Amino acid sequence: MIQTIHLLPGVTLRCFPDSRFKQEGLSLQFVRPMCKEEAALNALLPAVLLRGCETAPDLRAITLRLDDLYGAAVGAQLRRVGDYQATGLSCSFMREEYALPGEQVFAPMLRFLEELLFRPVLENGVFCPEYVESEKRNLTAAIAAQRNDKRAYANAQMIKRMCKGDSFGVPRLGEKEDVEAITPESLYTHYRKVLRESPVNLFYVGAADPEKLADLLRPIFEKLERDPITLPDQTAFHDLGGCRETEVMDVAQGKLCMGFTTPVTLRDKDFVAMQLFNTVFGSGMVSKLFMKIREEMSLCYDIHSSYHGSKGIVTVSAGIDCNIDGKVEEEILRQLKACQEGQITETELKAAKEALLNQLRSTHDSPGAIEGYYAVAALSGMQLTPEDYSRAVEKATAEDVANAAKTLQLHTVYFLRGEV
Amino acid sequence: MEKKFYPQVGETLYKATLPSGLKMVVLPRPGFAKKLCYLVTDYGAIHRDFTMDGIEYSAPAGVAHYLEHKLFDMPGRDITGEFATLGASPNAFTSYDMTAYYFSCTENFRENLNLLLEFVTTPYFTEESVAKEQGIIGQEIDMNLDNPDSRLFDLLMEEMYGVHPINTPILGTRESIAKITPQVLTDCHRAFYKPDNMFLCVVGDVDPEEVAQLAEARFAELPNPVVTAPREWAEPMETTQKEVTTQMEVAMPMFQLGFKAEALPNGIEGVKGEIIGDLAAEALFGESSQLYLKLYEEGLIDASFGGGFEAVEGMALLTASGDSENPQAVRDAILAEAKRLVAEGISEPDFLRMQRSALGRRIRGLDSFESTCFRLCAYHFSKFDYFEIPAVYRQVTPADLTQFLQRVVTEDRMCMAVIAPKEVS
Repeated sequence: MIQTIHLLPGVTLRCFPDSRFKQEGLSLQFVRPMCKEEAALNALLPAVLLRGCETAPDLRAITLRLDDLYGAAVGAQLRRVGDYQATGLSCSFMREEYALPGEQVFAPMLRFLEELLFRPVLENGVFCPEYVESEKRNLTAAIAAQRNDKRAYANAQMIKRMCKGDSFGVPRLGEKEDVEAITPESLYTHYRKVLRESPVNLFYVGAADPEKLADLLRPIFEKLERDPITLPDQTAFHDLGGCRETEVMDVAQGKLCMGFTTPVTLRDKDFVAMQLFNTVFGSGMVSKLFMKIREEMSLCYDIHSSYHGSKGIVTVSAGIDCNIDGKVEEEILRQLKACQEGQITETELKAAKEALLNQLRSTHDSPGAIEGYYAVAALSGMQLTPEDYSRAVEKATAEDVANAAKTLQLHTVYFLRGEV
Repeated sequence: MEKKFYPQVGETLYKATLPSGLKMVVLPRPGFAKKLCYLVTDYGAIHRDFTMDGIEYSAPAGVAHYLEHKLFDMPGRDITGEFATLGASPNAFTSYDMTAYYFSCTENFRENLNLLLEFVTTPYFTEESVAKEQGIIGQEIDMNLDNPDSRLFDLLMEEMYGVHPINTPILGTRESIAKITPQVLTDCHRAFYKPDNMFLCVVGDVDPEEVAQLAEARFAELPNPVVTAPREWAEPMETTQKEVTTQMEVAMPMFQLGFKAEALPNGIEGVKGEIIGDLAAEALFGESSQLYLKLYEEGLIDASFGGGFEAVEGMALLTASGDSENPQAVRDAILAEAKRLVAEGISEPDFLRMQRSALGRRIRGLDSFESTCFRLCAYHFSKFDYFEIPAVYRQVTPADLTQFLQRVVTEDRMCMAVIAPKEVS
């Protein structure tokens, strides 16, 4: 059972007490608005924090500390959920009972996380310019490298075109020119602002007692000068019109990406039916798209749909020969129409339900899945526990799924292809 | 059935060799809803030539992977659909030396297990269905051709290995898979999907005796033909070509560096060899190494850099890869650092720290059903009990690491593949 403790105004600790695992996990996220002005800053911040703190001033010193903590891991966490961008650090570490007698892991890990977050290496009162420049280069390279993964690239291009008027169109890592404009001063100013005003979400999975953990964490935030703000509620998709575009690149395989809108977000009660529709339609190996376009027509290896519930967007992506996009698009729309007309067999509905139920029932079996479910739920405004969610899945009918399908409108089509 | 407790990792295993010859283990996970089940065969992309009951066979490249796709076919049935209605998601993968079929579920474990056992042991290939798969796998091959990471690795293997079949991609090529027929698939299935070549591994809260009964019911009647396949290749340790380059639509040059190492024997000596390779890689260019810090601060590598020791049946190598504007400088720095480590040695405190870190990560890894199940299978085929690994770490010394570096990280054994950004015309 999840336990929520309000440590201080705007600082929330969520705990999933569990002694089944051999490791523990703790993450800290500052919640920011997802916007062009901030995306690059929020992406760069954890990378610079991970370059060094007062007691471990470079990468190697950090790794040596983690090695001593039995190979503990600390990483940047950057998560987009609807109109919010959560930025921070997460760590996982071995439970002390597996350590040599008398050795500690938990307390030193907590201390180290605090040092990394709040006592970075400074020069002349701002972030170390060398670290900022180096991480700017890395971030710019990471942005450029998105081209390397053609499937992800094509999807991102489609979303960018579809969401011209929505925060969902802002790339998660920001744009190259925004990264280049950052200085050690501007990043440090942003950091101070983030510490002062951002809502803070902490998440813990492990065997420790939540109240005791709260008592250890509270003083860390009491030391900060805080003036927390409240972020505006999540909003549905802002539509500035769709488009149809083809881009040519030197690729062997074409990538067809289609974006649909729906008014149903995961804050609506119909969201469970929409999730089921997505599963019947194109998620997984028994979906209509997979069975028809891959298995029956042999037109592709990879085809799937995704439901972005925080916004009300459904995307379809397929890797296909470069000259059959028209044929594949037509078939995708035909399968959607079948869903809308209620042509959903009992087997299809049962398979979709079981796939979702299986996923929900195993949520609590991995520390990562636990953190993922509850941290995203808290940010997105989704209210259901995995148990309530499961009950709603069990109750849903084929008619509910068809009604969810009927809300879909084709919005944007993007095709990445090679020279034909 | 043998029940064994491993105090160093806090795990229990149930183990059995069934009368049919099939070996199995169950790793109990009381208090967890999820059950994960792997049925694997000691057969992968590199096992193309073999002798069965005195007759020699030579199969086209990509056959193990093709077989993995086609095994899901059953006369008049939709196996994936049947799993789906039972609440399980089945999947499979083919590596160079193993093929695995698996499902995870929270309910109907018994029915799902039966279905897995049934379809993997039922070869059913028609001319029509085998021909149709060419389109799907052809698209999978194209997808990999556009993926710089897999292109880079395939290119390096092709250049580095003249003898070992790792020089051919797991999927084969569009030309090689065109030669695959129902008869080829039937022969390979008969040769390698036989009880004494397979392994069943379950992680979850299930009854081990019941798993054994269900498996034996399926495997008891299966033939165990006499099959021999090469498991060693006379691959020279020296590389002929030191660098190979191609161009793709990538943002920055990408490189993969390889150094040939000796193939690992089975059993504890092999695992010791693997740990030596892992720790030597960490000492040389891991995140705790001096070289990593230097290269990162000089901007020659970024967070994409990584590497380690990799072993496939009959071959092993030390490899490092990443994005860099100057791959040659990274390569030269790695060669120089290896020489320095060999000359100066690795200190005892550094060694103990790396050892502790590696062990801690292994223990944390046990929380993952997937990685634990995979390791139990892979180590089983290497004839080693995975949960005994902490004791092997204690047999390794700092001198083992420097001897490895001296032998392996040299220009003689090296090759580097580079993908350069396509020049804009």
